[in-house]
Amino acid sequence: MDKVGIVGYNQVKLYSDANYGRYEMIFEAVRGAIDNAGLKKKDITTVISATNDYYDGRTISNCFTVEVGGGYLADESKVEMDGAHAMLYGMMRILSGNHKLAVIWGGSMPSCYPYHSTRLYETDPTWERPNGYVNDITASGFQMRAYMDKYNLQTEDIAKVAVKNRRNAAKNPLALDEAQNPDITTKDVLESEIYSDPVTELMVGQPCDGVAAVLLAPERQALKITDKPVWITGVGYNQETYYIGERELHTSNSMEASAKMAYGMANINDPVNEIDIAELHETCAHEELIFAESLGLAEKGKGPEISSEINGDLPINPSGGALGGNPPCAAGLIRVIEAVKQIRGEAGTYQVNGAKRAIASGQIGMCAQNNIVYVLEGGE
Amino acid sequence: MSEKIIEKTRGLVKADFNFWVGLYMDKFYDSFEQKKIVANKCPQCGEVFVPPRKICGICNIKLPLDENWVQLSDTGTLVNYTRTQYKVTDRRARKSKGFTTLGMVKIDGSNSAIVYPLEVEFDDIEIGMKMKIKWVEKPKGEPSDIEGFVKV
Amino acid sequence: MGRQVAIASAGFSEHASKRSDVSMPELAQEAIEDCLKKVPSVEFDDINAYVNGNMPAFEGSNLPELWMTDWMGARNKPLMRVTTGGTTGGSVAIAGYYTVTAELPGIDTVLAVAFEQQSQGDTSVGLASVAYGEISILNNLGIPYDQLNRLLSAGAAIGVAAYQATTYMNKCRITEEDLARVVVQNRRNAAKTWWAHLKMPNLTIEDVLDTPYVQYPLRYGMVCPASDGCCAMLFTTEEKAKDMCDIPVYVNGVASVANETAVLGYDGGGSAQVDPSVQLGAMKSAELAYGQAGISFPRKEIDYAEVYAPFPNQELMWVEKLGLFEETTAPEMYETGVTARDGELPVNCSGGVNSTNAIGASAMERPATAALQIMGKASNQVPKTVHTAIGSGWGGSLNFITLLAMSDEPRRRFT
Repeated sequence: MDKVGIVGYNQVKLYSDANYGRYEMIFEAVRGAIDNAGLKKKDITTVISATNDYYDGRTISNCFTVEVGGGYLADESKVEMDGAHAMLYGMMRILSGNHKLAVIWGGSMPSCYPYHSTRLYETDPTWERPNGYVNDITASGFQMRAYMDKYNLQTEDIAKVAVKNRRNAAKNPLALDEAQNPDITTKDVLESEIYSDPVTELMVGQPCDGVAAVLLAPERQALKITDKPVWITGVGYNQETYYIGERELHTSNSMEASAKMAYGMANINDPVNEIDIAELHETCAHEELIFAESLGLAEKGKGPEISSEINGDLPINPSGGALGGNPPCAAGLIRVIEAVKQIRGEAGTYQVNGAKRAIASGQIGMCAQNNIVYVLEGGE
Repeated sequence: MSEKIIEKTRGLVKADFNFWVGLYMDKFYDSFEQKKIVANKCPQCGEVFVPPRKICGICNIKLPLDENWVQLSDTGTLVNYTRTQYKVTDRRARKSKGFTTLGMVKIDGSNSAIVYPLEVEFDDIEIGMKMKIKWVEKPKGEPSDIEGFVKV
Repeated sequence: MGRQVAIASAGFSEHASKRSDVSMPELAQEAIEDCLKKVPSVEFDDINAYVNGNMPAFEGSNLPELWMTDWMGARNKPLMRVTTGGTTGGSVAIAGYYTVTAELPGIDTVLAVAFEQQSQGDTSVGLASVAYGEISILNNLGIPYDQLNRLLSAGAAIGVAAYQATTYMNKCRITEEDLARVVVQNRRNAAKTWWAHLKMPNLTIEDVLDTPYVQYPLRYGMVCPASDGCCAMLFTTEEKAKDMCDIPVYVNGVASVANETAVLGYDGGGSAQVDPSVQLGAMKSAELAYGQAGISFPRKEIDYAEVYAPFPNQELMWVEKLGLFEETTAPEMYETGVTARDGELPVNCSGGVNSTNAIGASAMERPATAALQIMGKASNQVPKTVHTAIGSGWGGSLNFITLLAMSDEPRRRFT
């Protein structure tokens, strides 16, 4: 596979209710990415956005974002999934040879729409949706219980992940203020209100306003644009079957299949030792453990034993993950950005020493029905 | 970011939707009116699907409309459960005072688990419990005909 | 970087104003079945990845590709969703092309599916909500609704199209009869296309002109229907396509250059474009796609065109903008039979969007039909041999376009 380089990025600070408008936020993210990379609007040949019509309350949600997203007279399209999936399409466009610089941006503003209702619209309208019993809230409850029950784990094991990520978020100035909890304890997490038993409120990444942008270029151009390109050496994406009553919720089959595809491309045979850090898009704390196991970073059921702190053997979500703020359509792209920061040595107070090879993941659908994972390398 | 004054407005776009269920779900809901569950079976792999469908997702073959129907009993096994105060509708999610307990029950004879309220005390719930469907008094051929599950 | 991409097959579901006999997943499955029927050597296991899209506002369902996984045969397979409004179908087709040309290990054959079941929702609400968010805030700021009128009817709807019609008519001096002639040609072509919606084999210009105006200069008889339907296309590599079908159709050029919208724009029109019949984005797309495909003289080198035009004025405008005919000569081309089925450069022999409009699918049905014409397998197959064809789409606030240039020979230039 030819090399595709990430040559720039930018992310706005996450807010529960951002004090500015959608177009300004998109402009800030994209213009910032272009400026930071020392590029111009004219250099952009293609723009792929990630937005969702229901999240934005607009049909054709990318219609009015052409100018602010850098898409004017550029070859533009839109992926209606996680921002990480938009990067996949951008990567394909670079690999085609047709384009020299791709702008990928994604995000939404849940302060402006009822998030859980829009997730309810994903359900089967002829069966589950009229009752509303299957929604993203209850789905997370089922998933956590399935995981704990299968491997005989305790709620403390899950709460520890929430504690780790929220403390990590406290070191990340761009994370949601409400999620920056430097002194949080397992007790705090377990005693917070029930979200959907056994998930508690502090185990959940709060949907928040945010937009992120990433720039991609082919190898030759990437080396001209930046002296710190981060190469995408592997990608895998996969979708499971739909009905949650027919899936195995204690594991993530789609993440496992995506990992196989990505590791195959990147020539990774021993993920535990070959990967330095992982940034995983986890909507709830237990998903981080499920994903880590499906990615081969631990044996099934042994996720809680991974030494995943920032100074641990295999840091996971040093930025705080989506528990540090979950802007729908941007969260996965921000995981990519955080992995890129680690490789480039730009992660500030949550920098992991010597991070050269990272994985970053995004997801969409109930209990992560569709997962995407990237292998990113750089920092020579 | 400078001190900006932003203008906010609330809007409600009213849009009515009616979903065609298709001929397979049609049969499914017809049997609800008799307080019965019907499912269809894949002739190749033997999976029995609740709700019934046109395609077996495992074999990728079409299941003919008039063949392979099986009548299932009202009973099943509990495979998962949760409880929440959140009630989510098409308009918003709100936290009500009381909890709704929901269970995923695998209907006997099928590998599909369906999600409905459990009329069991939360602390008495055990995965693997035998459950039975509680139908409403007068079913109309819709998903809410199943009120929930009770312990057998 | 990149490799040749071939279309091995294309399929359709039946289109109607109400496909009440199927749920959304079943509708998609119908088109997939029709697509794979034509390539009997292809099993579901041979399909490596999927691309799916529709315009979700019309069914009130968010991310329906998640629900319909099994019906598409996509269980445990890579799947990407692309939606861009009116151009969705074209964008999905282009995404199918990119998925194959990217040469990701293990991904050679891709099934692209674009659908719409409009009867489930309210088409006009779905269209109006392109701009509803913008309008309510502008109204808050004191701009009255009648000034925002055109913005409200954005997104492939009558209001913007009518304005585009008048600006075009002003430049090119066409008459309503010219518009009606395009409609008659399309509807008669649709009568010979098995999957089309409005089949009218005996329609006349008088019939069309005898209907009341919806919005000048467009009459009821000229407007496209709202259809339920789905389209599927199979993209694969050059080598595999040769085993699958007799005449693989090579995708030689693709482009989807966007033009500006602007929230308020010129005259509250939701577009910064002063004259929406100029279509800078479309002209640039044509330049890009034809350049990639090695087409220097579109009029001479293109044998067949499927041009996305829900309204007849757009068909006249697009055949010129896409370089098929000289500016202001399109009406004459229709009058003299150049664009007829047996003409020199047949256009829209499927009946076009004017006869069948399942919005999410229609921009894919254009390259799909064009590809089938090259294969010789189209429903209303033209008598001449088609070597090179194009399929276009447009949408958004008249600012999106998709264009695919295809041929029976691989002509794509690699840099």
